[in-house]
Amino acid sequence: MEKNIYESIRCMVTGVEEESPSIKTVMLKPERDFSFSAGQFASLSVPGVGEAPFTPSSSPCEKECLEFTVMKAGRVTSAIHSLRKGDIVGVRGPYGKPYPLDSFRGKEILLVGGGVGLAPLRALFLALLATSADYKRIIFCCGAKTPQDYIYKEKILDQWHSLCGKMPLSFRITVDQKCPGWRFGEGVVTKTLDGLDVDTGNSVAVVCGPPIMMKFTTLKLLEIGYGDTQIYLSMERKMYCGVGHCRHCLIGDLFVCKDGPVFTYSQLKGKPNLWV
Amino acid sequence: METLYISTRNWRSFLKGRIEERRIYAPFDSRNVTCYGRVSNSNLEDIVYCRARPAEPLKMFLMPFRERSCPSLPEIPDIVVMGAAACDLAALRILDAVFLNGQYKDPNYHMRRNHTLIVSFDCLAPYPSCFCELVQIHPYAESGFDLNISLYGEGMLVDIGSDRGREFLGNDRGFLAAEEEALRNRRESRRQVSEYIIEKNRSHDLKQVSKLRETFHTEFWKVPKEVENCVQCGSCTNNCPTCVCFIIEDTGKEDVSVKQKVWDSCLFPGYARMAAGSSPRPTLYDRYANRLLCKYWYMPENFTFTGCTGCGRCISGCIGKIDKRAVLTEVLREKR
Repeated sequence: MEKNIYESIRCMVTGVEEESPSIKTVMLKPERDFSFSAGQFASLSVPGVGEAPFTPSSSPCEKECLEFTVMKAGRVTSAIHSLRKGDIVGVRGPYGKPYPLDSFRGKEILLVGGGVGLAPLRALFLALLATSADYKRIIFCCGAKTPQDYIYKEKILDQWHSLCGKMPLSFRITVDQKCPGWRFGEGVVTKTLDGLDVDTGNSVAVVCGPPIMMKFTTLKLLEIGYGDTQIYLSMERKMYCGVGHCRHCLIGDLFVCKDGPVFTYSQLKGKPNLWV
Repeated sequence: METLYISTRNWRSFLKGRIEERRIYAPFDSRNVTCYGRVSNSNLEDIVYCRARPAEPLKMFLMPFRERSCPSLPEIPDIVVMGAAACDLAALRILDAVFLNGQYKDPNYHMRRNHTLIVSFDCLAPYPSCFCELVQIHPYAESGFDLNISLYGEGMLVDIGSDRGREFLGNDRGFLAAEEEALRNRRESRRQVSEYIIEKNRSHDLKQVSKLRETFHTEFWKVPKEVENCVQCGSCTNNCPTCVCFIIEDTGKEDVSVKQKVWDSCLFPGYARMAAGSSPRPTLYDRYANRLLCKYWYMPENFTFTGCTGCGRCISGCIGKIDKRAVLTEVLREKR
């Protein structure tokens, strides 16, 4: 009998970390090998509840532990938020096209993430760090609504930030609305692109965040001088199968599940109902 | 292709023998349409041959409304489906492209396809909703079947389209080589049905349908007044032979993962709605447009052939009495 395309790999929940009031990271230990490349996604299933697609937020180099950072928004994500250490979930995949790291070589990489959109960028960032000598420099622009909503706080603000002196890496950190004690910028994440000193001829920009943020960031990047093919967007749509059968995730004629979830803006430009 | 002739009497006695071996489904009269039913000794003579496509699309047999998709189904029995029209065979190209020809094969569909013998019928009396000729499909099939039946004289012509079809006929002595005159007559009667369909569709113009890709803005779809009659019931998508959308439900408990596929409809407001409540197609007009854009833009782009076979089921089954042909004609005119 052929292998069933919907069969999930059983995973044990090894930990749950609260990132913000509405966002948690679940750590999983898969029973079988689950390898992925940064940008690809998996269908995470809570038995008896349902499946939903998420891009892992852990490093693709990490083989023992798989992490997903999930915002509580609906039925499946609520069930994920209720998971406890020792629970069993399923994971199938990886699906979709990853970030084309080979074509990023020798370039200045601009990462722009907002809110829970930082999750896939974390996996990408960790993959970039593992081969950091291949890239000219990395600029990471991060945004969130308030300091309280920041995910990966310790990692971004302390751990990763401390690498800045040691390698060509810089952070531009902002919140829409600051509070006392916040030592970084204030304003929406597109503001971090003001006065950016970047060689747009030799750079790629990778954007992930809520649709409105992706839209305005794309417009801003075009204004700065990025071309349509230099802007990479991680798209999100309702999805079930993950393999191009159920047709829920179509953006025009493009499947988010198999043509994406990472697209260049040149692929998406002119497609119907692009920014949800 | 080899074509045989068999008298009606001999065909019936042939079928009688086959009923013992496997399940055979065929069209039977049901009010003003024909619906598939299981053939038995008692209804053998009631089978309706070569009228028009049955009410149900072939996908009913190949991807049931609800079925377990994981763990895999056990073996399923061989069946014979008689009565599919050429438009239904054209739809199989789409189903095969989705479920068989990509990187991931759907195990249930693959199994059902292998276990289903398809006997198509020529159409002699198309419905008013039929418009296959407008999408370059004829009311008779020349490929894509295991066997095809055309009525002729006191019997029928049987085209053999596959080894499986030939095997099904076996060595029955009722089958004779078809004469050239029979084939000539069939060509003529087929041409007449084609012309009838073209004539009945004179007022609809789908010649520019590939330009539909320039009409995705909601405003275009507010022009035809009929669109607002759509009650988003999903009849068009359920009856469509090429609508394949489904959801996956997890019906397992605790650590046991059991998944089942259930048909979905892109006309339902929740179809594309994401967890936080936002949807790329928030209005009825967006959703109505999406269904037709999928047929005439996305599917041709995805599979190289059109997603609409002109079967007209979406028109005859529409609760809001929307004639898709009129809507398309109007939207395309508006585009100009």
